[in-house]
Amino acid sequence: MATQPTLTAAPDLGVWKRPSILRRLGRTCWQYPTGVFAVIVLTGFVFVGVFGPSIAPYDPRGLASGTPLTGPTASHWFGTNSLGQDIFSRILAGARISLEIGGATVLIGATVGSFLGILAGYYMRWVDYIIQRSSEAFAAFPALILYFLIIAAFGRGVKTIIIALVISAVFSSNRVLRGATIIERNKTYVEAARSIGCTERRVFLRHVIPNVLPLTIIIMSGALGAAILAESALAFLGLGVAPGTPSWGIDMSGTNLASARFGHWYLVIFPGMAISLVVLAANLLGDALRDILDPRLRR
Amino acid sequence: MRQYAIRRLLYLPLIIVLVAIVTFFVLRLPWSQNPVDLVSTQTTTPQQQEAIKQEFGLDKPVGEQFVIWAGNLFRGDLGKTFQGRQPVWGQITSRFPVTLEILLLSVAFSTFFGVLFGVLTAVKQDTPIDYAFRVFAVFGQSIPEFFLLILLIVLPSIWWNYAPPVGGHVSIFQHPWTNLRLYVPPTLLLAVGGSAGMMRVTRSTLIEIFRQDYMRTARAKGLDNPIVVVRHGLRNAVIPIVTIMGYQISALFFGALILEQIFSLNGLGQFLYQSLINADFPVIEFLVIYSALIIVVINLLIDLSYALFDPRIRYS
Repeated sequence: MATQPTLTAAPDLGVWKRPSILRRLGRTCWQYPTGVFAVIVLTGFVFVGVFGPSIAPYDPRGLASGTPLTGPTASHWFGTNSLGQDIFSRILAGARISLEIGGATVLIGATVGSFLGILAGYYMRWVDYIIQRSSEAFAAFPALILYFLIIAAFGRGVKTIIIALVISAVFSSNRVLRGATIIERNKTYVEAARSIGCTERRVFLRHVIPNVLPLTIIIMSGALGAAILAESALAFLGLGVAPGTPSWGIDMSGTNLASARFGHWYLVIFPGMAISLVVLAANLLGDALRDILDPRLRR
Repeated sequence: MRQYAIRRLLYLPLIIVLVAIVTFFVLRLPWSQNPVDLVSTQTTTPQQQEAIKQEFGLDKPVGEQFVIWAGNLFRGDLGKTFQGRQPVWGQITSRFPVTLEILLLSVAFSTFFGVLFGVLTAVKQDTPIDYAFRVFAVFGQSIPEFFLLILLIVLPSIWWNYAPPVGGHVSIFQHPWTNLRLYVPPTLLLAVGGSAGMMRVTRSTLIEIFRQDYMRTARAKGLDNPIVVVRHGLRNAVIPIVTIMGYQISALFFGALILEQIFSLNGLGQFLYQSLINADFPVIEFLVIYSALIIVVINLLIDLSYALFDPRIRYS
């Protein structure tokens, strides 16, 4: 009886095999430790933004959860403010408003802006002309004046801040995407695709879009940092959310700032560090993504 | 070149008129804040409110209000503030030096340190110096400026029991030392973000330039390294630097307001902020147009300076 031919493993000829996706991911993480740090911080930020009020050890609006104006202790890690509210809890709860405004700005502003930028860069003509002229005028114009005009028109509040920041994000992101699209559409592979008879739509959707899309992610990461910075500054000036709401910017202003001038440093230092940490993470993520996704810029 | 400059100059009034129209009508949108309510107290009767409305000229149709306002502005009459009925012009002249000094010092510091660090890191690319300054740049762009300014007040008070001077603007010409002691520390910190951005732009531009053939030629001629870096490298990097400077000036308007707020300085930024809260139309209108004018002129100068720095650039 003939023996069944058994399958043996192919001898290892030393042929290069593409490493598994996990290994490649691991290598990328190893190469970009700052990017990993950024992802961890931003994940934590989103988590705290969603669940902050429920995981906070004290009620962030609850008065007299400890002795007012006490520095960091074991029960109140970041101390208490003049109303006896726990600062650590307020910082956890304050992440929500930053996440809301930052997230809305990035999702609406950067997406719409990138879309307009790609359209303008690819189709040129009058679409491009209008978008270009308006973004030029906008880029030169002080953000302060724009914010103030929008606040004058729509009144103070979260919605107004989101409108203002979305408009800034739209204009700043479309410039970058437009430039990248113009570079891509003049490349040889686009010409090649056209010459083998691809329709204009196919060239746009299957060739140009996939090549500029990674930039959108970089833009979004930068827009997140910028939005959180602007939001906290406007909140600090008292132009954002209602007073009393847990918000990093608001908690650094008013009576807290006044008390901080007289030695109660913990009132303003911890919220300030929270803002800085999140913005730092967003900026580092943007830098790491630029290196990873855009090899031309690698140096 | 001259034609280009003239054409740009002709656009200038157009932009200003556009800004004026937008500002004027945005403030008077039907759902916007009503200044009459804001100057009224609980005891103000409806008749008095009507009188206030007439005094401010808000009872007329919006189009007519605009014509009157534009005519007055053209004759140099800025009107009176709604709150306190002070002449707007007097307030502007007394507050102008504060904001001007903040802006000038901050731009000077951010350009100086930004370019200095940028050259340094580009020359010493991939050395510990380069890494250290790049870390500084990342942090500098991430920390909110109001947080840095607050730290300037809070930290010295903890460590050395010392508080930096706050408020009380004195003229730089009468008391230069007191004035600089008040303005230099905060403007230095306000410039941190700007110099970080400037450093990154200078560094990446210079690194690109260092790869060019003419740099090798310059070295091959036997020129000293500092001369190569400054005359052949930095000179070619001037245009991106000047462009960034323009953006930074308009970004500094926000920074100046925050500085004035934290250090209790009565500058134009604080004036605009107070007027926004009080719906003080004459002030908002004038300050918005004024800032637009400044920014448009600065941008025009920057665009024209390109041709000065790089004779290859021709405008048509």
